[in-house]
Amino acid sequence: MSKIAFVERPRYTCASGGAVATVTAIPGAIPILHSAQGCAGNFAWTQNGGAGLQVGGYCGSLTVPSSNVQERDVVFGGVDRLRQQIANTVEVMDGELYVVLTSCVTEVIGDDAAPVVEEFREQGTPIAFAETAGFKGNAYTGYDLVLQSLFRQVVERGVSKQKGKVNLWGIPPYQDVFWRGNIEELRRLLESLGLTVNSFFTDRDSVAAIRQAASAELNIVVSDVYGVQAAALFEERHGVPFLKTALPVGPGATDDFLLRVGERLALDRGVVDQVIRAERRHYYRTLEPLTDCYNDMDLQRYAVVVGDGNYAPALARFLADDLGWLPELVVVTDRFNEQEQGDVASRLQGFASGLAPHLVFESDGRQIISHFNRLWPPNQNQKYYNAFSPAFVLGSSLERELAATLAAGHLSVSFPVANRAVLDRGYTGYRGGLRLTEDLLSAIVAGR
Amino acid sequence: MYFSQKEPPRREERLGACIALRDTVCGFAKKKGCRFDDGEREFRQGSICLMLPALAILNTIPDSVVLIHGANGCGSCIHSQNANARSGSAQRTGKAKDALWLSTALNETDVISGGEEKLTAAIAEADRRYRPKTIFVVSTCVPGIIGDDIDGVAAQLQEKVTARIVPIHCQGFKTKIWATAYDAVYHGIVRQLFEGRDESKASALPGVDESRREVEAERRKKTVNLMNVSSMGRVDEIELERLLRALGLEVNIFPVFSEPDSMVKMTQAALSISTCPTHDDYILKHLNETYGVPYQIEHMPIGIENTNRWLRNIAAFFHLEDAAERIIEQEERELRQALAELTPFFAGKTVFLSAGEFRALATANLLAELGFAVRGIRSFHHDEFAEGEYAKLARQAKDDFIINIANVQPFEEANLLKRLQPDLFLGHANGNMTASKLGIPAHVIYNTGLSYVGYRGAYELARRLRRLLRNPAFHANLARHVRLPYRDQWYAADPFRYIRTQGGHGHE
Repeated sequence: MSKIAFVERPRYTCASGGAVATVTAIPGAIPILHSAQGCAGNFAWTQNGGAGLQVGGYCGSLTVPSSNVQERDVVFGGVDRLRQQIANTVEVMDGELYVVLTSCVTEVIGDDAAPVVEEFREQGTPIAFAETAGFKGNAYTGYDLVLQSLFRQVVERGVSKQKGKVNLWGIPPYQDVFWRGNIEELRRLLESLGLTVNSFFTDRDSVAAIRQAASAELNIVVSDVYGVQAAALFEERHGVPFLKTALPVGPGATDDFLLRVGERLALDRGVVDQVIRAERRHYYRTLEPLTDCYNDMDLQRYAVVVGDGNYAPALARFLADDLGWLPELVVVTDRFNEQEQGDVASRLQGFASGLAPHLVFESDGRQIISHFNRLWPPNQNQKYYNAFSPAFVLGSSLERELAATLAAGHLSVSFPVANRAVLDRGYTGYRGGLRLTEDLLSAIVAGR
Repeated sequence: MYFSQKEPPRREERLGACIALRDTVCGFAKKKGCRFDDGEREFRQGSICLMLPALAILNTIPDSVVLIHGANGCGSCIHSQNANARSGSAQRTGKAKDALWLSTALNETDVISGGEEKLTAAIAEADRRYRPKTIFVVSTCVPGIIGDDIDGVAAQLQEKVTARIVPIHCQGFKTKIWATAYDAVYHGIVRQLFEGRDESKASALPGVDESRREVEAERRKKTVNLMNVSSMGRVDEIELERLLRALGLEVNIFPVFSEPDSMVKMTQAALSISTCPTHDDYILKHLNETYGVPYQIEHMPIGIENTNRWLRNIAAFFHLEDAAERIIEQEERELRQALAELTPFFAGKTVFLSAGEFRALATANLLAELGFAVRGIRSFHHDEFAEGEYAKLARQAKDDFIINIANVQPFEEANLLKRLQPDLFLGHANGNMTASKLGIPAHVIYNTGLSYVGYRGAYELARRLRRLLRNPAFHANLARHVRLPYRDQWYAADPFRYIRTQGGHGHE
């Protein structure tokens, strides 16, 4: 990680916030924050502003139980307050699983949540905990840490393996604003291969199914980074191997995804091909009537793609290989180490279209324009200038100023998404490719 | 006296503010002047800390950078506050501008070895990269515990950077009363943006002649400081400016969206006027003691009678009573005519409110004026400034009703709402979901895009409530299909069973 003085407008909240969002998304789960009083509100406001108008769920936002430690607890320790908070939470809140999540303050003062949680577990309370201090990392880290806790403390050991059963993760709830739709589409596709899927966060998932997760044959992680540590832990602890893939957006990437899953599980190639054929037929039959307007309105675009480690490469590939646009610059806003950077960079190689977009890792969105100017020489008052036009910026809502500068269309996909309402829309898979096509072109023709 | 310290005092000490009480409006009205025995909850839900309202103000200051010194998540709330920064700047300048905030993103190593070095580098780089007029350095819980000296770092660096560095202390664990946020922001502004400025430079253009100076002095006699709040949008400012201008006054608006260079003008006005007494006493007393600017800190101009009182107070200061009465008479007449078609729909309907203390109480007054019966109020904290407000409500209430002091705590709210079954709920942003899921039509009690304040606000709020009550299907459908995360037994329990006061269980 390059040594930089600050993170400009971080496109995430901290580990603690990512953890709360993750627990909130598990059906029937109740997070218990062991933190100062402001953390829950900070996370609620974050989702309010960045998660496509989605805040919390069954037990999110300001409903989240929290120890609200004060100065006194900072001086004398907050463990007694935590014990009291857990006991009363179980009394008031109706949950199938309680997950205690620690924070900066309670970890700095050295509160040890483990023995307290253990007391309740011994009494039969379904409870787990994760140490998710904000200084341990960002929301993606928090997601990974919660998964690790589930795999250590909730997933039962020694269950027998079940053929055709898989766990799916790598899409952090709320931090990936399109999490619900993204997971549902991949679930649908995996089921169409005849697999049984545990995906943790949809309303077809449950705490009971999470407990049985170790019976899976394979864990599928649709991310190079998010949830990968948890996958390694799962393998070590429960003996289930994992497959790491790109976030599959659109037909090209999804073909690859299904083929790789099929290979790893030694599925009948004929079955996989049949699914791919049917999905492709549906995709292109649906796209077909757009052809006239796509041509007549000249809807091909140059593009700048800005996003996190999941979205930036996935969206670039969709634009280049499926939609036939020209993504020239791809900006990954996460602060990754070299290994992670390498993994993400490899996703931008070998595009079927032959395009090789320029990739930069840059956490300061205000610097993107300088990267762009270095890549695409400005008009030196030439009569004939090969302009970056017509253009489109596919990023977060923080890229609106960049889009205005480039006189480009704009769509928010990667966090923060302040200017769209998102419920179960998703961009993964074949259906997601259609959604993304709709949304990109709608943004262009909005003033028509 | 406070301003010589690095940090403002906690409101718990300075004002005896509290967050966990139960009583009724008549009970509260009688308790004038005594300090309450604040309670503690043994079950708690998360809320906000002083950092959030502080950032809500700081993000609006033009040409500034907000540098949050903490782990990488502190201040991510700005993603929603940014919407206000954008719309607010669009309304005031014609251009939507994103806020600019940064995080020092302290990691585990920094927690052990201290964050001052990182902060120093961040300030220098922010100054170089963005060239702001002001860098607000907001310290959070972690630097507060590990002992980073943000004031020391700022003082050391000030010579080396172009921007004015303004330390703002927001250690969330230190105070339960998030209204301390306003003190924290004002403390920083006073220490860094008022003090040490050459008055003549701030107040007059170089080379200005004598006659111009006289005009300027004359103008100041008629200029008032109008204290705005981040929960109040431009639409509400325009309403208050309209009324003050009708009295022949000039208006400085401060602090939200005010230019750092012109903040010093605050020290030269004839009078400072609060729009939310919870907000402003700390700085108004300072402006009075240090610069001789008198102030008025009574009434929030929400509700017809409240607006009248607010305006009369100001007019009395300038000896403009007759003008005020003329304005009030005309405003009231026009407003009541306009309301006539709406109020019949409100008669006998019951309402429950929950928000910051002043906002909740003033809005309750307005709803009573519109014909609603107030069933209960939850104020997010309590301090002395609101004492008169409870008396006002007690006077007009047909039946006594519940007052609950709570820093949000929706579990208590769910229990109360199930019992009281009001027809309408008005709550703070992110505080309306409980009512909605119980099928109670909910309306947000503040939103910077909507009008609430003054005579116009009374009409616009009534119009919105009529619209809501005409079709509350959204809320009714939710209640049929989703449930709140509380056990069934909870609704049968005493809603205040988890409040412990020093005198034991409950609050008599």
